[in-house]
Amino acid sequence: MASHASKAFLSLGRINLSGVGLHKSLSRATYATGLPTHSGGGNKGRPERGHGQGFVKRPRRSSGPPRTDKMAVDQDWSSVYPTATPFRPSTVPLPVRMGYPMKGGVPPEKKGNLELIKIPNFLHLTPVAIRKHCEALKSFCTEWPSALDTDAKCDEHFPIKVESTDYISAGPSLRNPSARVVHLKVKLSSLNLDDHARKKMLKLVGERYCKDTDILSLTADRCPLRKQNQEYAMYLLTVLYHESWKTEAWEAEKTVADMEEYSWEESPSQKNILSMLVRMKVAGEGEDEEVREQLLGKKEVQEYKDSVTRLMNEGESEITILQYKQAVKKVLNL
Amino acid sequence: MALQRLSFRLRQTVTHVRSLHTSGCGQQQAAVVVESEPEPLSVFRTQENDPACQSEKHMGQYYALPSPHIRTLFPHGLPGRFEQQLKTFNEACMMVRKPSLEVISYLKKTDFSKPSLRYLFYGLAGSGKTMSLCHTVHFCYTQGWLVLHIPDAHIWMKNCKELMPSSYNESRFDQPLQASEWLRNFRITNEPFLSKIKTKQRYVWTKREFTEEGSLLGQLVDQGISRVKSSSDVVGAVLKELRLQSGQPESDFRMAVAVDGVNALWGRSTIKKKDKSPVEPDELTLVYNLKKLLTKDWTGGAILTTLSQTGSLYTPKFAYLPQELLGKRGFDSMDPFIPVSVPNYSEKEFESCYLYLIDRHWLQHPQSRTEEGKKEIIFLSNRNPSMMDRICASL
Repeated sequence: MASHASKAFLSLGRINLSGVGLHKSLSRATYATGLPTHSGGGNKGRPERGHGQGFVKRPRRSSGPPRTDKMAVDQDWSSVYPTATPFRPSTVPLPVRMGYPMKGGVPPEKKGNLELIKIPNFLHLTPVAIRKHCEALKSFCTEWPSALDTDAKCDEHFPIKVESTDYISAGPSLRNPSARVVHLKVKLSSLNLDDHARKKMLKLVGERYCKDTDILSLTADRCPLRKQNQEYAMYLLTVLYHESWKTEAWEAEKTVADMEEYSWEESPSQKNILSMLVRMKVAGEGEDEEVREQLLGKKEVQEYKDSVTRLMNEGESEITILQYKQAVKKVLNL
Repeated sequence: MALQRLSFRLRQTVTHVRSLHTSGCGQQQAAVVVESEPEPLSVFRTQENDPACQSEKHMGQYYALPSPHIRTLFPHGLPGRFEQQLKTFNEACMMVRKPSLEVISYLKKTDFSKPSLRYLFYGLAGSGKTMSLCHTVHFCYTQGWLVLHIPDAHIWMKNCKELMPSSYNESRFDQPLQASEWLRNFRITNEPFLSKIKTKQRYVWTKREFTEEGSLLGQLVDQGISRVKSSSDVVGAVLKELRLQSGQPESDFRMAVAVDGVNALWGRSTIKKKDKSPVEPDELTLVYNLKKLLTKDWTGGAILTTLSQTGSLYTPKFAYLPQELLGKRGFDSMDPFIPVSVPNYSEKEFESCYLYLIDRHWLQHPQSRTEEGKKEIIFLSNRNPSMMDRICASL
């Protein structure tokens, strides 16, 4: 079809050189002359398949030596791969192999390898290329403040970190709905929380807190614009902070099962050990309260308390159980 | 073959030495001197059959339980596979291991005026917890203690064919079959005590049957065995009497309470009530009364327990640590207790076991007697006692 058209325009072009609407066809005509069209050339004998769908292959030119042979070692790579392009085996001078090695074989080579083309490559982002990008962007940037030279100082002055992503793509619209998502990260140690407020905050926040790094991460994406989401995230943080400082009336009904960590006071373990020691008559005679205080002050009892707390909070393991055993033996004087 | 002759020769020398010395402990020192001359690892038997005199020197060695003891002490207590081994080899040989030696040393040092202490054997499945418990119970028996042995608390929590509402307390349930069986075994184990201990209270079973105050414990037990309907309550009465009387100045007996699979008492049960709701452990008379014994209210004895995952219900297969199997309630009730870890065989213990099996002509496969075969057995069983037993069963 294309060759038909080119042939037609060919003739038209010759006749009507200054046709306005035929700019394209003119350029096409000048390029098309070198090649034989389908009526000329060696395809005379081949029957056309279908009248309007004439598609016949052009005889293929054999490809010459790959470009990699002519590449110097110190060439400018960023001009070979200036943007993200699929992998071209004749352009990349690396002997890469990819694929599953069949029986007794090796992974297939790069020439004609679809696997290498399928995967994303970062050949356009070599360190040299990135340095060039940075140089180009420098004129749009301002200086980094010299006082903020360590991470710790950044955390100290700017504890709240807001993260959002911008997307660029060529398409019918410039806007990308994922660009409205905002992540807010803050370390709880930088907030002024007392013990009760911290526990309440952790309960309110739940999964959004990471114990290892002590970072609270809030993600806001319910509003259509990024600015709105940023403001909503800041509002959330403010509300959480103020609510965790308040104590409601129903918080007094907190049961043992709600406690975050095990506390030995008023636990069955304490009652057990005290009654045991009282029976064993370790302490002298006296009032109940005095006896209790005396027993609690003993070193062995303190050790026992530590071992039980460790067992409950850290979970069981051979080590914690051994420590518990030692503590029990000492308390019971074995 | 040479090995057998060697150990046989040593045994002869030992018996010769025995006639010279009179005390049971003294003989052992001489025997050990004789026995330690050749390679010490190949001697896997010890003549010291009294657990009281066993010490670290005998670790890893087998000692023979006297057969009259077995019949009285363990009518129901030994693990099933060990009983089969007993019948096959015609002797009961148990290995002296560190956990039981440790508990025995504590028991020797206990002060009987203080509340009884709780010891808990824990370890991987098949590592020898029940056997350690039996060893310690044997020690208590040879010392003349009263032994209250519950072989497996899990059987009280499952497969109950007859569940009756209790006559004593409406909200609880009786298990007459298990109770009467346990009373029968209790009678066999503690014959001498039954005629010595007297009840302190009057018990009324039905309108016409009652047990007077001051009657013998044996009568109480007989009552329970003959009248199966009230056997659970009889068990409760027996436990109560023993608890009150043990440790008192006028009674001269010590009590050892041995419970295997103690985590069953705080676990779930598969027994269902008529309306298909599961029964709580505390609603069973037997369990309720047993729990009273496990507290620290009484003096003059010790409480020996083991954890068991194998018979337990609704627990994950690889759980073996105390808190996992006991649960929160169990831990709070048992606290403070002394946990004793029962590990897999050490190298020396494995050697002993292997040599014992060869000596008993149990390992018939030709390759099992080679070094290669031994390494294979080590690898396959990871030195776990029960795994080794199962693997060698087919060799």
